[in-house]
Amino acid sequence: MTALAARIRAIPSWQVTLGLALFALGFLVAAQLAAEGPRVRYTTQERTPLVETTLALQATQDGLKGQIVALRKSIQDIEQQGAGSAAEIKDLNTRLEQARIAAGLIPLTGTGIVLKLEDSTQPVPQDGNVVDYLANASDLRAVVDLLWQTGAEAIAINGERVTAATAIIDIGGSVLVNAAYLAGPYQIAAIGPKDLFARLSATPGWEEFVRTRRGSFGIGISWAEPDVVDVPAYAGSVTLRESRAVASPSAAATHDASVGSPTPPGSAP
Amino acid sequence: MHDLKSQLTIAAVAAILGLLVVVQLRGQAGGSALETKSAQNLTTLVASLNQENDRLRSEVSTLQNQLTELRTDRSNGATSVGQIQSDLGRIRAWAGLDPIAGKGIQITVSGAIDAAAVDDLLNELRNAGAEAVAVEDIRVVARTSINGVPGSLDIDGFLLRDPFTVRVIGTPEVLVGSLTRVGGIIAQLSATNPSATLDVKPIDVAMTLPASLRDLLPTHGRPRL
Repeated sequence: MTALAARIRAIPSWQVTLGLALFALGFLVAAQLAAEGPRVRYTTQERTPLVETTLALQATQDGLKGQIVALRKSIQDIEQQGAGSAAEIKDLNTRLEQARIAAGLIPLTGTGIVLKLEDSTQPVPQDGNVVDYLANASDLRAVVDLLWQTGAEAIAINGERVTAATAIIDIGGSVLVNAAYLAGPYQIAAIGPKDLFARLSATPGWEEFVRTRRGSFGIGISWAEPDVVDVPAYAGSVTLRESRAVASPSAAATHDASVGSPTPPGSAP
Repeated sequence: MHDLKSQLTIAAVAAILGLLVVVQLRGQAGGSALETKSAQNLTTLVASLNQENDRLRSEVSTLQNQLTELRTDRSNGATSVGQIQSDLGRIRAWAGLDPIAGKGIQITVSGAIDAAAVDDLLNELRNAGAEAVAVEDIRVVARTSINGVPGSLDIDGFLLRDPFTVRVIGTPEVLVGSLTRVGGIIAQLSATNPSATLDVKPIDVAMTLPASLRDLLPTHGRPRL
């Protein structure tokens, strides 16, 4: 024992330093290789300006959305102080507030869950498809759909509110929600009943999603049930360009003759 | 000499170490995901962001005009009831709380098609700029979901018969072009659902889509002040 200690003490300090440095080097090389994940890196000269342009355009978009939210708030404030019959204005503003909430134009807070989807860290097999190992738009749509089915009332993905006009698409391996570029990991915040996750996890669709995406491809799927979940307001356009509102509720079931007369749907079994 | 050699070795290892730390840290930064995209994919992304930013600039301009009018009316002591009513009508129609009318397209879907395919179609319609969509008499809203197996699909609990129609309000040429382009959603769905046929036709006269039957107000969430 004494001999071993003496032998250790006899090692020159520069060898110890070098050993530690090489250990750190090995660790960083391994971390770098792991960070490459299943993604492919390209090295062409035109890419750098394109990446910078993309980031600049997304920053511009974030700024425009901020302006839209602020302008809508200013309009709302003035409308609530509007002139005219006090009762009439009050009634109109109550209805307008409810319409804005239903449309997703007001940020909400409440009970619910936050789910996280991440790219796989598993190596892609020789005969595998890289895309299968990335969290993609199809995954997000599947989860959003399951959440609506199990009682979610408001959903946002990485801060983009999901509304009647929201498209969730892949463009060359990038996910766009409300035409905003989102980088993973993807956080899906959903407001709903307190047992929203219990409801979700009880569905065959969720079980299948976890089995296929995590089980087969290693997609990271995690969730949390915080006391309070926040979802932001939709900051996109709500302008009607090609259409007009039809005020009369009685018009709900009517169809123009030119469109034909679609078969009325039956009740679900 | 021996000391110099060992110092040089340590210096070289430290330099490589430093380089790798920087690369690793930069790799963790926000733009790293874009580094993995091809030039073609980045170009498509840039085009999409440009298009959306144009739409948002137009929305900002509309809202600024609306705000100016409201402020002018208010300073003149004029009533803003008309403005509020107009805002209310537009938002209710956009959200699916009221019926909506306009030109667009009609898609007739016949044959066996799965729920995911119909969901993909609705997603593509939103992406193409649809202002409102109805599957048969069911208005598509944020919470709409399609369930079931081919032959007995349902939308929000209402059974879909074969064939069924999807009516869409938006610019007919844009919608038709987006759906029927080479490699577009119609081509994709025809490949994945060979038994199904999707017939797209422009509707150049105003059609009316119904309001949603759903209660769209939340009961578990409240406005965040």
